[in-house]
Amino acid sequence: MPNKQRVEVRVNGTRYVREVEPRLTLADFLRHELNLGGTHVGCEHGICGACTVLVDERSARACLTLAVQADGCGITTVEGLRDPSSGALHPIQQAFVDGHGLQCGFCTPGFMMTTLELLRCTPDPSEEQIKEALGGNLCRCTGYQSILDSVKLAAQRMKPSTPA
Amino acid sequence: MKPAPFDYHAPATIDEAVALLARLDGEGRDAKILAGGQSLMPMLALRVARPEILVDLRRLGTLDYIRDEAGTLAIGAMTSKQAAADSALVRRAQPLFQAATELVGHRQIRNRGSVGGSFAHADPASEYPAVALVLDTGFEAAGPDGSRTIAAADFFITYMTTALEPTEILTAVRFAPFPAGRRWAIEEFARRNGDLALAGVTVTFDVDAGLCRNVRIAAFGVQATALRLTAAEALLEGRPAQAAQFDAASKEAAAALDDPMSCIHASSAYRRHLVGVLTARALGQAAARPH
Amino acid sequence: MAIEIPTLPEQMPNDASRYVGKAVNRVEDPALVSGTVEFIDNFSLPGMLHCAILRSPHPHARILSVKVDAALAAEGVAAVLTGEDVGRWCNPCFTAPEGWGNYCLAVGKVRFVGEPVVAVAASSRYLAEDALELVDIEYELLPPVADAGQAMASGAPLVFEERGTNVMLDRTYTWGELERVFAEADRVVSRRFRWNRVGANPTETFGCVCRWDLADNSLVCHGAYQTPRFMAIGRAASLNLPVNRVRIVTHPQGGGFGGKGGPRGTDIAALLSRKSGGRPVKYIEDRMEYLLAGGGQSWDRHYDAALAVKADGTVTGFRVRLVDDQGAGAEGYGTISAAKPLAAFTGNYRIEAAGYELTLVATNRAPTYPYRGYGPPPHNLVLESLMDCTAREMGIDPAELRRRNYIRPEQFPYTVPSGNEYDSGDYHAVLDRVLQMADYDALRAFQAEARAAGRLVGIGVVNTVEPGVFDWNAYATVGVPGVGVPEGVKVAVDLFGGVTVAVGFSLQGQGQFTVASQVAADYFGIDIAQVRVATTPSDVAVPHFGQGGSRLGVAVTGAILGACEKLRAMFCTVAAHVMQAPEGGVELRNGCLRRIDAPEHSMSLAEIAGLMLSRSDLLPPGIEPCPEATYVWTAPNRNAPDDQGRCRSYLTAANATHVAVIEIDRDTGRSAILDYFIVDDCGTRLNPANVEGQLQGGVAQGVGAALYEEYVYDADCQPLVSTFVDYLMPTIHEVPMTKKDHIVTPSPVSPLGAKGCGEGAIHTTPATILCAINDALAPLGKELLETPASPHRVWKLLHEDGAAA
Ligand SMILES: Cc1cc2nc3c(=O)[nH]c(=O)nc-3n(C[C@H](O)[C@H](O)[C@H](O)COP(=O)(O)OP(=O)(O)OC[C@H]3O[C@@H](n4cnc5c(N)ncnc54)[C@H](O)[C@@H]3O)c2cc1C
Ligand code: FES
Ligand code: FES
Repeated sequence: MPNKQRVEVRVNGTRYVREVEPRLTLADFLRHELNLGGTHVGCEHGICGACTVLVDERSARACLTLAVQADGCGITTVEGLRDPSSGALHPIQQAFVDGHGLQCGFCTPGFMMTTLELLRCTPDPSEEQIKEALGGNLCRCTGYQSILDSVKLAAQRMKPSTPA
Repeated sequence: MKPAPFDYHAPATIDEAVALLARLDGEGRDAKILAGGQSLMPMLALRVARPEILVDLRRLGTLDYIRDEAGTLAIGAMTSKQAAADSALVRRAQPLFQAATELVGHRQIRNRGSVGGSFAHADPASEYPAVALVLDTGFEAAGPDGSRTIAAADFFITYMTTALEPTEILTAVRFAPFPAGRRWAIEEFARRNGDLALAGVTVTFDVDAGLCRNVRIAAFGVQATALRLTAAEALLEGRPAQAAQFDAASKEAAAALDDPMSCIHASSAYRRHLVGVLTARALGQAAARPH
Repeated sequence: MAIEIPTLPEQMPNDASRYVGKAVNRVEDPALVSGTVEFIDNFSLPGMLHCAILRSPHPHARILSVKVDAALAAEGVAAVLTGEDVGRWCNPCFTAPEGWGNYCLAVGKVRFVGEPVVAVAASSRYLAEDALELVDIEYELLPPVADAGQAMASGAPLVFEERGTNVMLDRTYTWGELERVFAEADRVVSRRFRWNRVGANPTETFGCVCRWDLADNSLVCHGAYQTPRFMAIGRAASLNLPVNRVRIVTHPQGGGFGGKGGPRGTDIAALLSRKSGGRPVKYIEDRMEYLLAGGGQSWDRHYDAALAVKADGTVTGFRVRLVDDQGAGAEGYGTISAAKPLAAFTGNYRIEAAGYELTLVATNRAPTYPYRGYGPPPHNLVLESLMDCTAREMGIDPAELRRRNYIRPEQFPYTVPSGNEYDSGDYHAVLDRVLQMADYDALRAFQAEARAAGRLVGIGVVNTVEPGVFDWNAYATVGVPGVGVPEGVKVAVDLFGGVTVAVGFSLQGQGQFTVASQVAADYFGIDIAQVRVATTPSDVAVPHFGQGGSRLGVAVTGAILGACEKLRAMFCTVAAHVMQAPEGGVELRNGCLRRIDAPEHSMSLAEIAGLMLSRSDLLPPGIEPCPEATYVWTAPNRNAPDDQGRCRSYLTAANATHVAVIEIDRDTGRSAILDYFIVDDCGTRLNPANVEGQLQGGVAQGVGAALYEEYVYDADCQPLVSTFVDYLMPTIHEVPMTKKDHIVTPSPVSPLGAKGCGEGAIHTTPATILCAINDALAPLGKELLETPASPHRVWKLLHEDGAAA
């Protein structure tokens, strides 16, 4: 049997240390080792984007990453979006709710994590920039219109208020 | 859809990595280098690749850089594509390479996929090998016998095969200075935005007194590996940078192709046709680009 | 006592609706955006094993031997299931016509690539997949039946030898004087069409966790199940268990669209549980399994169709011959899918006669399954394309030709030749609205200008009827007898006035829990947060069906209203008793039970429920201490079909008209959607945001079917699509951001006047896009009659004689 590897990660601020088989994907690691089931898996070969998480603040497909590759990294998943003390939804989550940006919700964590990175890098994105950012995430339910609207809503709400 | 088992090493230095690869090779074991995993991981998941051992380069921070080496742009193999796409230096020094990088997949892919990985992977549909052919990219490899530099023309052998030995690591790519005023373009045709191209063409040329000089045209997605379209280049060389000439060159580009690939999305004939269309578009766009 | 279900929101016992008709936020969403919803792969049981399935690499082969010893000895493996076990313990699936169904694992021979042959249960999915590599199977290859044409050729190999033919069903329906209208027509417009296979591809594949309790011979299946009760009956039938020993626990699903599959995977996981001594077994279908052999392939159709037209453009007859390639067995209710067009065979038109020749054949492609819309989307493409061909041939504007043939508003309820009755509508008003919104004249002017400049710009104007609220009677003539589809709920009021609605289905994305909450909250005049909707396991739930056939929103509304009406009667009786009012002297209004003669005397919901539960001494005789009611709704006034399949099948007839503007790139053959407009009428819009979401989602799937998606098989019947690299679902870049408007013609016969609209635009979008493409091609004298209109296909058409050069 292959040598197990030690993996130490900080997920949504919590430190985890596990010994894992090298072939374990980060998606399976998060979902089944750490019981963080909010990161969904729709294809396991890198196309659908459902498994998108942030690794060291940058969006990544958790199905195309090995758990061992994340050793030493900080990871943010959908479970890390809500305010830890108040439990309030993150503005992106709230915008998806208010904008009816989801139907079955299976793709939604991936879209929201992608949006999180987008709005950090581009706080006031144009429609084209939003589409460009979300182009790697598939949604089979919504037809994307309400997702686009939700991201615009989130951007608007998260915009740092310009000093008068 | 889970990978078959493999052993895993993440060496801390290049020397260690090279030594490890050499040892495993000597033992006749099937080792594979892992960079960003954005091409290798799907192959592992589908079990079409099933190496015994992965040698992960993630700890080789020394291969993550973008720098100007006396006019030559050098990019470490483990630099992420997104970093290359975002780099002001890359944009200034190698605008074609920067544009090609933005065409690769989606941001999630570029965040993790390395610059070196795309060259080493040598996917025939990738933008990178074709761009390397027109830009005279040099590939620096580290192996048991030290380092060597391989010219782009010698680097891409055939379908997903490069001149790298199994014991060699691609450490950096170097781009010859891109002369001011040189025209460039990259045009591709994919079924959906972000998909690997069914066909693509990239061009560079200079315009000197209205005439095309140093014409380079390369195609991707059409054959087992990216290729220079030398007949079309020759046709355009020294000719006026005008639509009629571009047209003739693009017809030649299509006609001179040897048996393009065929797949469910595009027959060989369609690919040939697309190469003509894309060559015309790329030449036109390059000529029109303000510089 | 007959229960009257309100057919308008105003008939509910409140002064004004707070929720019904409003785009309220969905009650489902806070958990979904938090990532805490228990999709099936987030669920596990102690001691659970994981299943992996070895699948056939051959389209048609006899299984000579199966060796599993090495797999059984592999690390972590608890059980291995083979065709031998299955042949001994199971029956073939019962959703296919007798003799055309497969076992869950191949028995004796394999009939398609991807057919399960051996299954393993191990302590992890990784180990289970490892063990599969140790299984050794010897095959004798048989010549495959690669397509429908081959299937019908004489001397063709047989997919099901015992049947002696590959034709599963061959029948002709004739409605009205078909021969006469064609004989008397001034013009007959006929074409052949090819609709290539597409499929549902929900983002979550199928999954389940099954536990076979060997002590009391019962089975519990947790999973992503769309129609739980039906699934329970099916498992009982295939696994030889009493129905009341099967419990289906349905979990929220990451989409379904009819193509979730499930029976096969469930049976396999259940049998592995049985074989491993009753340990729970999880099976999560992966995407490759789904694409090759899951519930995701639909509509592999060859059409030959014609319209009979009078000189003034009146269409009098519509004849369709359909050869439908069902693949290797009709396990996915294939017969039903081909029969559904009967519910709206002649679309929005007053066509007096119609005929349908239906041939279903078996091939060695994967079995086909339902997909959103079921049978009509390809059928609509045929009818609407023929309307456009007619318009072109006659030099009439396509919108005008349609208008001339519409059923007129005063003609409703209108019975179509194929038997169904449309409840209501105003097709002229919908067309007017969309043409105005799109500024149709300006679009045509733009097109003329573009054409003059050599551009290939086309406009599609297409209308369809969406039959809503399905009934089994629609399918009685193709093998599923029955009238009525029950949808039941239990509504309970608790001590504090909270309301729980227990349903038999789970979340799938359409927002039914929200609709249920809206209706219950408005009925009782309470805050929507006081309503909770909960899923009940199949064995204890009130009779129900679940999602399917554009019916659940309407059906669950009807069921809740029925239960609420029962509660109202009960509460009024109790309140009259305790308030010492005369019998019938208390009414429910805005959540209060008040004396009609003295409205200031009233009781709240909490008071009445609390009293019922805690003061039996105060209850009138004959009233149980149970402030709960069940109601099972089914569409009213349904009848059994006649010998030509005619009956009142689908209760409601929503309709929509779409306008698409498309430009084809001559050089590459690529079609770009420049603009897209929709006006629809689905009666009362219970939650407008839900309706628009369903519509836009249907547009996306329609765009996929029309331009991108296709399951390709080669000449040897090998599937060439097994990953998302090749099955191209539209991304945000490919789907048009549509401009929408609507009109409201409430259904006179359905709860609150709502019409089934869950399938939405998939009925209309493929036809609209293809019509626009053909409009663009018209100046070249070319027509594309095959989907998807991929760039390659369009390019071939453009270049077959140098037309675009
Ligand atoms: C959805 C999706 C879309 C994509 N679209 C595109 C696209 O449009 N265009 C495109 O070009 N690519 C595309 N890709 C591929 C992507 O760009 C990959 O990142 C790239 O091909 C490989 O880089 P990597 O660092 O991930 O390499 P890996 O996947 O880790 O490795 C790829 C191969 O290169 C070898 N290798 C990697 N690094 C080295 C090295 N330093 N020395 C020697 N050998 C090495 C590995 O052994 C392996 O064989 C796409 C991928 C996905 C999942
Ligand atoms: S599951 Fe990772 S991209 Fe689909
Ligand atoms: S909401 Fe269902 S896949 Fe996006």
